[in-house]
Amino acid sequence: MTKSTDLIVVGGGIIGAATGYYLAKSGYKVRLMEKGYLCAGSTGRCIGGIRQQFTSDGSIKLMLESIELFKNMDRDLGTDVHWHPGGYLFLAHSPEKKEAFLSNIAIQHKSGLKDVRWVDAYEAKQIAPGLNIDGLLGGSYCPTDGQAYPFAVVNGYTEKIKSLGGTINTFAEVTSIIHGGGKVKGVRTAKGEEYLADIVINAAGPWAKELGAMAGIEVPVEPERHEALITEGVEYLGLPMLVDYRIDGGYFQQFKHNGQFIGCYTPVPNVPGHDSDSTYEFLAEMPKRMLKLVPSLAPVKVIRQWSGSYEMTADGNPIMDQSEIEGFYVLAGMCGHGFMLGPAMGQMMAKFIASGNKKSPIAEFALNRDYSYREAMK
Amino acid sequence: MKKLNNSDKIICRCEDITEAEVIQAMEMGAQTADEVKRLTRAGMGHCQGRTCRRLINQMLARKTGQRPENQKAVTQRSPLQPISLKTLADYKK
Repeated sequence: MTKSTDLIVVGGGIIGAATGYYLAKSGYKVRLMEKGYLCAGSTGRCIGGIRQQFTSDGSIKLMLESIELFKNMDRDLGTDVHWHPGGYLFLAHSPEKKEAFLSNIAIQHKSGLKDVRWVDAYEAKQIAPGLNIDGLLGGSYCPTDGQAYPFAVVNGYTEKIKSLGGTINTFAEVTSIIHGGGKVKGVRTAKGEEYLADIVINAAGPWAKELGAMAGIEVPVEPERHEALITEGVEYLGLPMLVDYRIDGGYFQQFKHNGQFIGCYTPVPNVPGHDSDSTYEFLAEMPKRMLKLVPSLAPVKVIRQWSGSYEMTADGNPIMDQSEIEGFYVLAGMCGHGFMLGPAMGQMMAKFIASGNKKSPIAEFALNRDYSYREAMK
Repeated sequence: MKKLNNSDKIICRCEDITEAEVIQAMEMGAQTADEVKRLTRAGMGHCQGRTCRRLINQMLARKTGQRPENQKAVTQRSPLQPISLKTLADYKK
């Protein structure tokens, strides 16, 4: 069985869905292929935070654009994605951290993010009611950062792809990339089906490396396990996303739409690989970290824990490029920021593909770049 | 007592998800309980799907013409019962 479309997007998370949507909107006949169900990979496991506070000019500008897209998303997709500008507060407990945040804020202002500012501990407590300010010097606060509901966003995009004449293939695992003469021709699935297209986009997130290898293209993306938990819903307290970079810190926020607290931390040392097990260590440790920051949450009950992959690149920047094989594109390596970057990434990727340009529109996102720079606000 | 329409029947009591919403998720392409959960939030609430997972598997079975016990079970996640942040934070091995 062989079927043709203009292009094939591999990956049913935010990156594939957003890219597919913007391509369908600009007239392409899109086929999105996902090995499991939609949101089965990283997107459905993320905690839904959306922020502009980065340190690379490319990421800051993309996030400014993404926030604009999130603001208008309900109308654009015809579904409630629960966008809420609850803000992000990065906490500084040491002079070094304060120094770093102040210099980041200067970079962010220069890149066009004007809403971010330094707040002292007293103001931090006004912004985040109940915040424990022991040892806190202050923080980097951006009130226009926010949150949305990942499942609603992805399903909003995929429903739109369908209504624009595209196709969504779930439980369709791509096992080989068909190419020849330096050009991509399509994909083959585990079930032996063949789908043809002149353009194939690798939006496979933590599996981007494996998918690239099917075409002999090296995609330097490595998955790392991150664990998360969620509580029952309680009254919305108006706290921003709190980010504590200390070794025993973490990050968590409360969804405005249903009052649930959701959070995670970056494990030290990191846990490389596709492992998606949950651990008792995390279940016992994360609450300690949450209560250290906001002690009044003590009676709130945890109802679920899970884990998912961050898809890391060595420098913390994503990859958006066309590979040496004409028509085989890569959009991956979001480093834990795929959900927030997704809308703007998808839009930019669609423009890049439509332009027919060979080179990535953002040099720092090129596939064959020097990966030694480091994003400071990982 | 008012007679309920099918559409008003509650399938997931924690998240207030009706039969009509589950049917809509199946119409959107959901083939498994895991997909219904992610589309509707059925099973994401306080009881973690203790009641609704059976009902949803029955609905999926009816739609696909298979037996309910042959439906792929939704992923079970810890903890089995809600536990307060304080109880967890105070836990010592």
